[in-house]
Amino acid sequence: MGFTLLVLLIFSYFSPDIFFTPENFTSMAFQVPEVAILSIAVMLSMLTGGIDLSIVATSNLAALLAAYILTKNMSEDGEITNLWILMACLAGILLGLICGGINALLIAVLNITPILATLATLTLFNGIAIGLTNGVSISGLPDQFTRIGNGTFFGVPTPFVLMVFIALLVGLIINRSSLGLKIFLIGTNRKAAQYSVMGDKRVIAWTYVISGLLSSFAGLIIASRMSAASPDFGNSYILLAIVVVVLGGVNPMGGFGTVTGVVLATIVLQMVASGFNALRFNQFFYLAAQGGVLVLVMILNVVLENRRRSKSINKSLES
Amino acid sequence: MRNETVLILAIVVFSFVIGSKSPEFFTLANLFDILRSSFVQLLFALGVLIVIISGGIDVSFPIVGIFAGYTAVVIMQKFELNGESLLIPIILAIVIGTLLGGVNAIAIAGFGIPTLIATLGTAGIFRGLMLTLIGSSFISDIPIALDQFSTADLVKFESATGTLVRLHVLVIPITIITILISLILSRTLFGRSVYALGGGVEPTRRLGISVKGTQTKIYLLAGALSGLAGIFYVSLQRKANPYDLAGSELDIIAAVVLGGASIMGGYGTVFGTVLGVLFINLIKNNLVLLGVSSSWQRAAVGALLVIGITLQAIGESRRNKRRRALSESEVESIE
Repeated sequence: MGFTLLVLLIFSYFSPDIFFTPENFTSMAFQVPEVAILSIAVMLSMLTGGIDLSIVATSNLAALLAAYILTKNMSEDGEITNLWILMACLAGILLGLICGGINALLIAVLNITPILATLATLTLFNGIAIGLTNGVSISGLPDQFTRIGNGTFFGVPTPFVLMVFIALLVGLIINRSSLGLKIFLIGTNRKAAQYSVMGDKRVIAWTYVISGLLSSFAGLIIASRMSAASPDFGNSYILLAIVVVVLGGVNPMGGFGTVTGVVLATIVLQMVASGFNALRFNQFFYLAAQGGVLVLVMILNVVLENRRRSKSINKSLES
Repeated sequence: MRNETVLILAIVVFSFVIGSKSPEFFTLANLFDILRSSFVQLLFALGVLIVIISGGIDVSFPIVGIFAGYTAVVIMQKFELNGESLLIPIILAIVIGTLLGGVNAIAIAGFGIPTLIATLGTAGIFRGLMLTLIGSSFISDIPIALDQFSTADLVKFESATGTLVRLHVLVIPITIITILISLILSRTLFGRSVYALGGGVEPTRRLGISVKGTQTKIYLLAGALSGLAGIFYVSLQRKANPYDLAGSELDIIAAVVLGGASIMGGYGTVFGTVLGVLFINLIKNNLVLLGVSSSWQRAAVGALLVIGITLQAIGESRRNKRRRALSESEVESIE
């Protein structure tokens, strides 16, 4: 929280006329949700000590399917019935669930390391998307669909409202349900969880299915906001999502993390991105900054963890 | 059945399937083409293999490679170094690659950051720094020696059908390096420490092997190999494009994993990796001959990878079951 304010102050100081404007904040509110939702998906798998690298590939595939259905069923002047929009979104979400299900099958049932399994499905999903579209994006989606991603709900951008809703829901699941408790237990100690016969495989399967579901939401929001879907959209989002999750205080070894932390970290990074924009740094400098933040936060985590451990060892030695 | 045997069988079967559909597959020219596209990938793959055997994963190597190759060319031009020397850019690239590998080593061995997260981070840093500080423009007039090297063929003749058959001279150094890495892994203390580390960090420490020292050497070596691969890539392409190679890590990790290296660490062979790289290139280069559009290349690699890891996982669980059955029968015989 303090970090968010600090970043806000720094950029407001350096570039007040561009950064500290209502327009800038509105544009940030449109860009935050997609990254936040993808990051929450990564967080869920990280809580169990795994990782989901296939999020972006899944979201693109879901968005492409929805976009395909939409463009096939709209009339020449871009009119489409609300039923078809609903159908397209449902198809995209279903595809996201299937993708998540494949990950769950590989990881929970076949016991394949999450990094490897999701790397393989990332290649597969991305490859299917490229193969089906020949690498060309589908654009010109109907207005009724793009209105969702670009509209406002009582003055707040609709994607932002959706993000808050999803974040609350996931927060409820991991803090208030038995599934959430089991996720934390598995992340803390997989062996112990196995011995306590809580059905650890089923829990892990659920996290990847939910991760696929969230990815498809993010894909639909991106498609709606951009009025297009493309197989190589948001390639940089994998790094970004992992930076967000780690910056948000989630332990990559599993067992600790909060949704609030992740959402705040997304907002911080979005501020850094628009701040860099206002200061006219180029986008690759932002890429280097993302990498730098990731490595620094990890170093900080490791150093603090070591200090905590040696302190507790000292304490037990004294007594 | 061993993984290498399965791969050889797969290569033979695929060759016959493709060959029966289009006879031009079984020509020397096609074989040499597959070899030529495998050189750079094999160098990268050897670095990845060592990292994976040690129980880690590296996703920064293509960026390290192009960083080293591109920067070497930029330095050559900026300081007007002798463009006719082939050795200077190669040495420059190896040095740069080793330095970048050193950054990975600091993050992983020095601070103990999980390897995937560390290399994702450093890949972002390297790519961002290269494109902001070193340059973002495409260089087509690379030093003359590098340019000429791209057509330095060991064997070159025209076949009966009139197609040009060429085997690049790189086949010799790449073979030597491959054998060298194989010897390092199987015959030296360092090589055995890499396998030990993949088997388990704590047991390795108790053996008296320096974990940090071994990890540092692993990432330095992987960096050097990536740098070398990067400069060869630039030379074979006859241009230095800083946007290249990013995203190619998936194909190479796929090749190493299909070659039988266990991502949990502790197992992997150079021979398997060579077969994996050849297999991936065989499929990618000849998809068109099978009547499949080349835009399906990535999906084919992904499907192969999913099938490969599924088969390995099933084999692993079967082995575990057999081991459990054995130990149970031992218990019974004691009773």
